[in-house]
Amino acid sequence: MEHNNRTLLEFRNLVTEFRTENETIKAVNDISFTINKGETVGVVGESGSGKSVTALSAMRLIPNPPGIIASGEILFHNKTGQIIDLTKLPENEMRRYRGNEIAMIFQEPMTSLNPVYTCGNQVMEAIRLHQKLGASAAKARTIDLFREVMLPEPEHIFSKYPHQISGGQKQRVMIAMAMSCQPSILVADEPTTALDVTVQKTILDLMLKLQNEHDMGIMFITHDLGVIAELADKVVVMYKGKIVEQGSVLEIFSNPQHPYTKGLLACRPPLNRRLHWLPTVSDFMTTDETGNVRESDRTVLQVTEQLTLTGEERRRQHEVLYAKKPILQLRNVKTWFSKKKNIFGKSLDYTKAVDDVSFDVYPGETLGLVGESGCGKTTLGRTILRLIEPMSGQIIYKDQDLLSLSPSVMRALRKEMQIIFQDPYSSLNPRITIGDALMEPMRVHKILNNDKARKEKVIELLHRVNMNETHFYRYPHEFSGGQRQRICIARALALNPQFIICDESVSALDVSVQAQVLNLLNELKKEFGFTYIFISHDLSVVKFMCDRMVVMNQGVIEEMGDADEICSNPKTDYTRRLISAIPKGELEDIRASMARKRMRHEAV
Amino acid sequence: MVKFVLRKLLYGFLVLFGVITVVFVLFNVLPGDPALMMVGQRTDKASIDAINKDLGRDKPLFTQYIMYLNDLSFISVHETQNTDHHLYLDQRKYGDPTVLFTVGTKAVVFKAPYFRRSYQNRRPVSEIISETLPETIVLALAAMIFASVIGIALGIVCAVRKNSWIDRTVFVFASLGMAGPSFFIALIISYIFGFLLTDYTGLSNIGSLFTTPDFGTEEYLDLKNLILPAITLGIRPLALIIQLMRSSMLEVLSQDYVRTARAKGLSYYSVLIKHAMKNAMNPVVTSISGWFAGLMAGAAFVETVFNWKGIGYEVVHALQSYDLPVVMGTTLIFSTCFVLINIAVDITYGFLDPRVRLA
Repeated sequence: MEHNNRTLLEFRNLVTEFRTENETIKAVNDISFTINKGETVGVVGESGSGKSVTALSAMRLIPNPPGIIASGEILFHNKTGQIIDLTKLPENEMRRYRGNEIAMIFQEPMTSLNPVYTCGNQVMEAIRLHQKLGASAAKARTIDLFREVMLPEPEHIFSKYPHQISGGQKQRVMIAMAMSCQPSILVADEPTTALDVTVQKTILDLMLKLQNEHDMGIMFITHDLGVIAELADKVVVMYKGKIVEQGSVLEIFSNPQHPYTKGLLACRPPLNRRLHWLPTVSDFMTTDETGNVRESDRTVLQVTEQLTLTGEERRRQHEVLYAKKPILQLRNVKTWFSKKKNIFGKSLDYTKAVDDVSFDVYPGETLGLVGESGCGKTTLGRTILRLIEPMSGQIIYKDQDLLSLSPSVMRALRKEMQIIFQDPYSSLNPRITIGDALMEPMRVHKILNNDKARKEKVIELLHRVNMNETHFYRYPHEFSGGQRQRICIARALALNPQFIICDESVSALDVSVQAQVLNLLNELKKEFGFTYIFISHDLSVVKFMCDRMVVMNQGVIEEMGDADEICSNPKTDYTRRLISAIPKGELEDIRASMARKRMRHEAV
Repeated sequence: MVKFVLRKLLYGFLVLFGVITVVFVLFNVLPGDPALMMVGQRTDKASIDAINKDLGRDKPLFTQYIMYLNDLSFISVHETQNTDHHLYLDQRKYGDPTVLFTVGTKAVVFKAPYFRRSYQNRRPVSEIISETLPETIVLALAAMIFASVIGIALGIVCAVRKNSWIDRTVFVFASLGMAGPSFFIALIISYIFGFLLTDYTGLSNIGSLFTTPDFGTEEYLDLKNLILPAITLGIRPLALIIQLMRSSMLEVLSQDYVRTARAKGLSYYSVLIKHAMKNAMNPVVTSISGWFAGLMAGAAFVETVFNWKGIGYEVVHALQSYDLPVVMGTTLIFSTCFVLINIAVDITYGFLDPRVRLA
């Protein structure tokens, strides 16, 4: 292993285990890699690959019991030049490094800040602890930090509570907290996964800027290879606790060796071509019962080319599609929420979540609704199903105005119109078995005569979403995120709907799992002839899924038209911003960013 | 904030109004004739009629209700000339009210609420309440402080030392405390510590906050009499607070922000006390306040066993002798306590959790 004065953190044959009474799981299994000063190392892998455990091992924050660092070393070169094995440090000495020399940013900015203390207070705490500053000096330093992470009105944010600021701002506060003692190494565990693509871009830019200014080492953990393309110098790919491949970012992107890496590279929907099927990890490798990996020898390019849909095919499809009569027509729909009321309950001021929106949806079409969080796309989706009542407008579904229907007629119509929600973790009741959860809507709408027939149908549906009858009596907690989302899809299918709204249905999933779920949705559409409205903040996903898309901003339609056309030729600045925020992972971009970095280094 | 408190006070007022109405209806449809109970042996018609007239029981129910409201209200309307009028401003009833203004023979006055007089001993109910309520408040407060301090501390210890011997031992005692009926526990404790072991503990099995010595008339404050009843009354909330604090603390300790706090390099104890405890307190505060109001109303058993001259003791006696004004008055006082405590809790919430703080 290389040794020079730039080395900061070395993992040497690290093994971290989770020991329970019945079994020992090696969450991290014999990994070795190095992080240097001023270097960003991207650690990539799907959930459960051991990447977060690696980070927590370095911080010595693994929940114990059951987690324990079983063997190996984590060597840290501290500010005074000593080399310390973090795994052997007693807790009270370890504490001096945490937050001071090694800082960490977590995945969920929403829950990672303590709700009962102000943002300023929480950042100050670390400064006062490690730098022994007085309250006013610490406050001044905190406000400086807030300015450095480009928070608007730093003095104002200082006294705000976490729930009063947005997700992106919270993550900036977290970064400010991590930067507060000028750590030599920053561990970022999926810092942008919970954020919109546009916010993600600003956070990534910020991290890059801070790294340059402070010559920090960054360990960046993500499930999405695309995210780190322009940020990382080195990439470590983890799979089932082991490192399957590591190398410079250019090597990994231009010539991936391991099939898993190829799968990760290919599964993010590309912007520049139209695929009718997303490649997944299983296109490149298969794992047999004993856990052995068998590779196929195809390259990423070969696979994607095979799956590309030509413009001619697409045109023919659309001719058929748009010749039909629209299944759903929205006319001047307005959903306003009152912001201020006078004492008689009359609204004085409104938040215009959806403001005068009109469009048509054709049978068999997938229409995309895209925009940043807060643009009104989710409200619109729920308004269409009348889960939220609009102020005015018409929603015409198959020649009936939904808004004029009585609740009982509407209820009957609901079985034709289903919605799949964003969070598969909270949209399934933890105390109801999968089978019951799927049979319940069928009972409500009196589909099939008895539970026996319904059970058969449910098992058929489970098979349809690539699960099986053994899952019928299980509870939601026994399944992974991707499986749960497939269960939610099966639940929507249970009522034989014709029209399905997918509200950020894949945003909470890993890119590799996301690809599988997207493929499943397309497959089902082909089989049952569904019409989808697909809501997402990620323009690349919308582009892959949809025939046409509607770009929304602050409750109004920015732009509407053919998905490919909008992506290749955006008309408004807002759309351009959404497109440029998508991590593309193109080789040219990586080369350009590497060149930029080198130039900056030479300048220093 | 001021607006918030004012709105809460308005709601509280409406609640009290409802309670007054319910109490009035309830006690007026109950069987039994207070006049008969008051005259005792003399059952001649004249005296019974006189008493009924004095109580307003010869009037229609609705008029009686108006009279009752008028008596309870701080601001009320009265007749100043006609002594036979049912709203006559009687100095014997209302003391010395401040007349705000008069219209004809009617006067609008500001006065203390008049809770009427006990059927039994003709003492004003307000006098009985002001004598006994402080005793009960002191008892309930002591019990609650005992339960909260010990309960929160033990709850934290149990959460931190989850599944250790100390956690299990506390769990067994907490379960016993929850399961034991208060009158039974009161008897046991009073027998053991106030009688069997009285030589060692120096405590008595009965006694109030103030004791009149055997010789002499001067009452003196006797705080040691508070110990046994307070502990007895506090056992059940203590058991509940331990369990609640333990589970709340365990949940908070698994939160992301606790991990963030540790990643900052804070010591385990400052994470525990500063970051975890404040978040874990919310459900506990709710239960403490709920229990406090409940304890005041439910102290009757304990007060009876320990002969503690509190309001609960008074209610038990009033119920036995069908002393309606006392029962109605104390019921209203209990409701007022509930309402006030709930407003206090809503305000405390804001301090503990800024997410519910109102602008």
